[in-house]
Amino acid sequence: MPDLAVEIAGVKFNNPILTASGTCGYGEELAELFDLSQLGGIVTKSITVRPREGHPPPRTAETASGMLNAIGLANVGVDKFIEEKLKFLEKFDTRVIVNVAGAKVQEYVEISARLADCSRADMIELNFSCPNVEAGMAIAGDPIAAEKAVREVKRVFPRPVIAKLSPNVTDIVAIARACEGGGADALSLINTLVGMAVDIETFRPCLTNNTGGLSGPAVKPVALAMVYKVYKAVKVPLIGLGGISNYKDVVEFLLCGATAVQIGTALFIEPDAPIKIVKDLRNYLTKNKLGSARELVGQLRSY
Amino acid sequence: MSRIAIEDVKILDSSDLGRGNYRLILGPFGRSRSIMAGQFVHLQVPGGSVFFRRAFSVYDVNPEEKTLEILFKVFGRGTALLAKCRRGDTVNLMGPLGHGFDPPGKKESVILAAGGIGMPPLYFLAKQMIQKKHESDKIHFFYGGNCRADLIEVARIKKLGVKLHLSTDDGSFGFKGFVTSGIKEYLENNKGDYRLYACGPTGMLKAIDRVAQERTIPGQLSLEAPMPCGIGVCLGCVLPLTSGGYTRVCREGPVYNIGEVLL
Ligand SMILES: Cc1cc2nc3c(=O)[nH]c(=O)nc-3n(C[C@H](O)[C@H](O)[C@H](O)COP(=O)(O)OP(=O)(O)OC[C@H]3O[C@@H](n4cnc5c(N)ncnc54)[C@H](O)[C@@H]3O)c2cc1C
Ligand SMILES: Cc1cc2nc3c(=O)[nH]c(=O)nc-3n(C[C@H](O)[C@H](O)[C@H](O)COP(=O)(O)O)c2cc1C
Ligand code: FES
Repeated sequence: MPDLAVEIAGVKFNNPILTASGTCGYGEELAELFDLSQLGGIVTKSITVRPREGHPPPRTAETASGMLNAIGLANVGVDKFIEEKLKFLEKFDTRVIVNVAGAKVQEYVEISARLADCSRADMIELNFSCPNVEAGMAIAGDPIAAEKAVREVKRVFPRPVIAKLSPNVTDIVAIARACEGGGADALSLINTLVGMAVDIETFRPCLTNNTGGLSGPAVKPVALAMVYKVYKAVKVPLIGLGGISNYKDVVEFLLCGATAVQIGTALFIEPDAPIKIVKDLRNYLTKNKLGSARELVGQLRSY
Repeated sequence: MSRIAIEDVKILDSSDLGRGNYRLILGPFGRSRSIMAGQFVHLQVPGGSVFFRRAFSVYDVNPEEKTLEILFKVFGRGTALLAKCRRGDTVNLMGPLGHGFDPPGKKESVILAAGGIGMPPLYFLAKQMIQKKHESDKIHFFYGGNCRADLIEVARIKKLGVKLHLSTDDGSFGFKGFVTSGIKEYLENNKGDYRLYACGPTGMLKAIDRVAQERTIPGQLSLEAPMPCGIGVCLGCVLPLTSGGYTRVCREGPVYNIGEVLL
């Protein structure tokens, strides 16, 4: 039986299949459908210092092979998250990565400090890249700010810190290097691409936020290319995401250099997709006489 | 075992009911027995060209045959593709989802207000009430459409034995005017305590909300919102609550007490 386990910054994952922030809530709903312990890990919805209601509807639109969202970081806030949501996740044998968002560096630091004593938060993932909130972009697109944010969070959070990168930048490699320089233990990429849809009857954008974040199969080629480029430029492990919906997509990301992956939008179509993917990945490895998922990482034979 | 199933089911029957309305019988679906009126299923439209699933209220179930039925009207791309499905085709179904109606007390007089393709959950509610021995002549089923051909499955509703009040906006059949006008007129002439349940287009639900709140009639509305996930994880399907904040229609709804949601 092939070994699916992977390790990122000293943290062991049962398998490389995680669920992406904002697409699995805090795990409660998915837990009604399958045992979360079957997942390599779960990345919880971005949390902010105070609760946020999010943008007025419509918040989502369907697009070709994907969707736009402008949820607006609706979340319960760090206090309630720690009291209720993190407690709920205690009973599962899976890794919990807490995604953190803020308007300023200070807010990332404040939330990360609050999570320092919560041992259930195995890692944190810094969402620098949410395109729906103005301030987040300032960090996502600025290597100096990104480096500073990672460095300051590392000071207060004792376990590994992941920086989640935005594709909405001129040079993702520069940002990746900056985050690594700031001490990031791993990088995850990509977040959504800024996009738009228009209603030609009403002359209005389909989202009240006017623009939104594009995700789903439509963004997979972009995500793969970015993982490929960043893999060559940094030493820290990568977590790949963007449009993954089956095991073949996962293998592509691993070959391009991702150690693990996250499943996002695909959960909306098939909430149990991660379970199928774990099974299919195991079969793929067996069929190809590979002893472990790790053996695929970065094995792309590029031209 | 999970309350919600995600299963491939067969289209056991597809009927064209005219004016773009269709009825599908789907199965086998083991959970059909547990479905409450007002709950919905999320269907993956075959062919792969429509990205999201589409939500449909459950119209009826047959627990012995492990089947369920939905009614839909061709509206856009997803429903147009579903209309082309044939007997024997496979669709992936997730459900039952959401919270259904809280059934009324056995002795209560009830008004069911159905607008157009909002009819299915109210038919199912009436059927479940009757199965629980609610007196059928205490169930007033108001059903309205734009014109006569919009009123589908009328014979089947009649068979329940409920008091059926049909209306059309153009007067081509039954009472001429909106469902809500029919209900207002009925309430003028038949004083008493009622509980009200409604499903239909937003304009109609707004009017129902007003009728009920002016007369302090308690009841529930089944609401709609585009639903990417249907299970509460995306936060895409929200509507504003009267008390502030947002509610997930797929999870806390789709059925809400009158006055709970800002329409
Ligand atoms: C709880 C519930 C119960 C319903 N019950 C019934 C029923 O019994 N019978 C019936 O006929 N209809 C029912 N509907 C409505 C049905 O789901 C719509 O008819 C359908 O979504 C329209 O789909 P379409 O593909 O035909 O139209 P489209 O034109 O493809 O979709 C309409 C528009 O909405 C967008 N859209 C579609 N789905 C989503 C989504 N999930 N998120 C964001 N945008 C989206 C599309 O991009 C498009 O702009 C119900 C809806 C809900 C929420
Ligand atoms: C509805 C929705 C909400 C999201 N919310 C967040 C979020 O709160 N924080 C975050 O870092 N990413 C968020 N994302 C981005 C995803 O985590 C992921 O990076 C992106 O969708 C690409 O992956 P996918 O194509 O597999 O969905 C969200 C995505 C969607 C579709
Ligand atoms: S449809 Fe995703 S939360 Fe309701």
